[in-house]
Amino acid sequence: MSTLCRLEGCTFDDTGMCALNHPPASCPNREALSGSEQAFPADDPRENISESIGAPVLTEPASMKSLGNRRTLGPDDIQSLMNKRYVNVVGILGDPESGKTACLASVYLMISHAKLKGWSFADSLSLMAFEDIVRGARDWNNGQLPEQMTMHTELADERRPGFLHLRLNRHSDRQTVDFVLPDIPGEWTQTLITHSRYDRLEFLKSADVIWIVLDGRTLSDREKRHGVIARLGQLAGRLCTLLDNMIPHILVVVTHLDTTHLDDVVAGRILEELRRRGAIAEIIGVAPFSAKQDVVPAGQGIDTLMNKTASHVNSGYSFWPSSNPDYTARAYICHRRIP
Amino acid sequence: MSRSIILLGGPDSGKTNYIGPLWRALDSGKGALHAVEQPHDIEFVMEVSEHIFQGSFAPRTEHSERRRDFEVVVAAEKDGLTSKLVVPDVSGELWRNAVMDNEISAEWMQELRLSDAALLFIRVGSDQDVRPLDWVTARDLLEKTGNDECQELPTQVLLCELIHFLERSLLQREDGEKPRLSVVISAWDRVDEETFSLGPYAYITREYPLVAGRLNDQDALDVKVFGLSSVGGDLKNDANFRDDLLQTGPDGRGWVAVYEGESWQKKYDLTLPIDWAVGLLQ
Repeated sequence: MSTLCRLEGCTFDDTGMCALNHPPASCPNREALSGSEQAFPADDPRENISESIGAPVLTEPASMKSLGNRRTLGPDDIQSLMNKRYVNVVGILGDPESGKTACLASVYLMISHAKLKGWSFADSLSLMAFEDIVRGARDWNNGQLPEQMTMHTELADERRPGFLHLRLNRHSDRQTVDFVLPDIPGEWTQTLITHSRYDRLEFLKSADVIWIVLDGRTLSDREKRHGVIARLGQLAGRLCTLLDNMIPHILVVVTHLDTTHLDDVVAGRILEELRRRGAIAEIIGVAPFSAKQDVVPAGQGIDTLMNKTASHVNSGYSFWPSSNPDYTARAYICHRRIP
Repeated sequence: MSRSIILLGGPDSGKTNYIGPLWRALDSGKGALHAVEQPHDIEFVMEVSEHIFQGSFAPRTEHSERRRDFEVVVAAEKDGLTSKLVVPDVSGELWRNAVMDNEISAEWMQELRLSDAALLFIRVGSDQDVRPLDWVTARDLLEKTGNDECQELPTQVLLCELIHFLERSLLQREDGEKPRLSVVISAWDRVDEETFSLGPYAYITREYPLVAGRLNDQDALDVKVFGLSSVGGDLKNDANFRDDLLQTGPDGRGWVAVYEGESWQKKYDLTLPIDWAVGLLQ
């Protein structure tokens, strides 16, 4: 309440205006002024108006410098990283709500607690982006779907598609492995299938492994599973075109292992659908989080997923393949000996 | 030679309560480093010391970006090389906000670019410590989209980002060696014997696995880990210790845990983390 007015909510102190439009001098709610009464409060802006004439309208903003840390990384950042060391680029595709983000969040949270079996944290250039994901900041630019991977001019309060980086120590051979995982909307997978939008997914040409994330619940639903498998086949077809028939190893990541069970027949159909397009694939069931913690612990299968991801390195083109010398066909020396 | 030593850490990590006793240790001349002359301005360190003289820890430097510098000329040996230390103490909130917003004031950036050493503080059992989200219970949270403002930044993420920042910003030392980072685990008197014997790095590995991984993986900084008890005990919860301190005074009680020989040992010399970071004798 104003110190000069009995009316609850009156802002006369701040604005100099009566909430009921009464003249201040005759307002019935106005507190009786003391002997040293004054027309306006001591700090009333109107009292000092002459002093403010000619003064700067806005205060000078504090000069700030960037700390240099990133949220997600752009293609140039990835290129720079790849110039220094081998980086496992992972392609992650899947429909919206299939569990792509949950997989990323689960990997990060498990490594944050040193609970990812066989792996420990070494570094990440996108820790804040992982934090955004696990804290539920999942809206794409306030609902507007992004059109391209993130560039350097990213705003801190927006989620833009980009790459997440994790460098992990593998305990089995004490090797350090760099993973680059894209955080992209599921709609990009849908438009790749339906409208051949290849341009945004060019980075898949550098991928060592592609995760195709499928919602285990839809595969359990007899009315939905056939459609999912058909779309998977179409997706493999698009990948064939995009990657000139050189599809890297595909890991079909079936989520919601905690509440569903993948039927062997369905699994066979999935693999057959991919094999028909020339893709070599294997299926990994995961439960990024669990609704039945005592039956299927949260994070089940995530360690297998990371092990399989790191074990497939894209051999790429062999520019100058090595070959063992054939001692029976040393043409030049034979030529000298031939009279 | 003038060097600026940066003290970093989250809120309530023990930075301020180190500076007061540190000044007393430098002034006494009994440690590895000593003050060559009485500093011009000692208001800040005397303020902090006053709290400890009265048997309580100095309150957190809360919600303030006001700089409170402690400047002192130090030497490791009598008539030896001297170095002017500028130890700016700022609230942990400044560092947390800098990481959250990915920006820091130009004035601070300028100060950081003049430094070739830093002390990174982590406090045992701080009530300001933010644990990472539990991956078992995170499922429910993930379903609440856009509700990120109620979540605090985990301490280990803050520390990792600060280490990234130091890697990029600290200067090479004048002798051409890498810049130095002393990682100081404060309130080390609160840990049990087993934890003490395993050492502060094992504690970091257990409590902050991301920080341990980051320290192991980087090669831009020369890193050494210390345990620290600024006054040698718990003024807040140990009434007997507090009575004893009030009776006989706080000087000479603080210690630093260092790895010597084959075990971690207490050294009653609070200057050791700064002595190593400055490296005057090397």
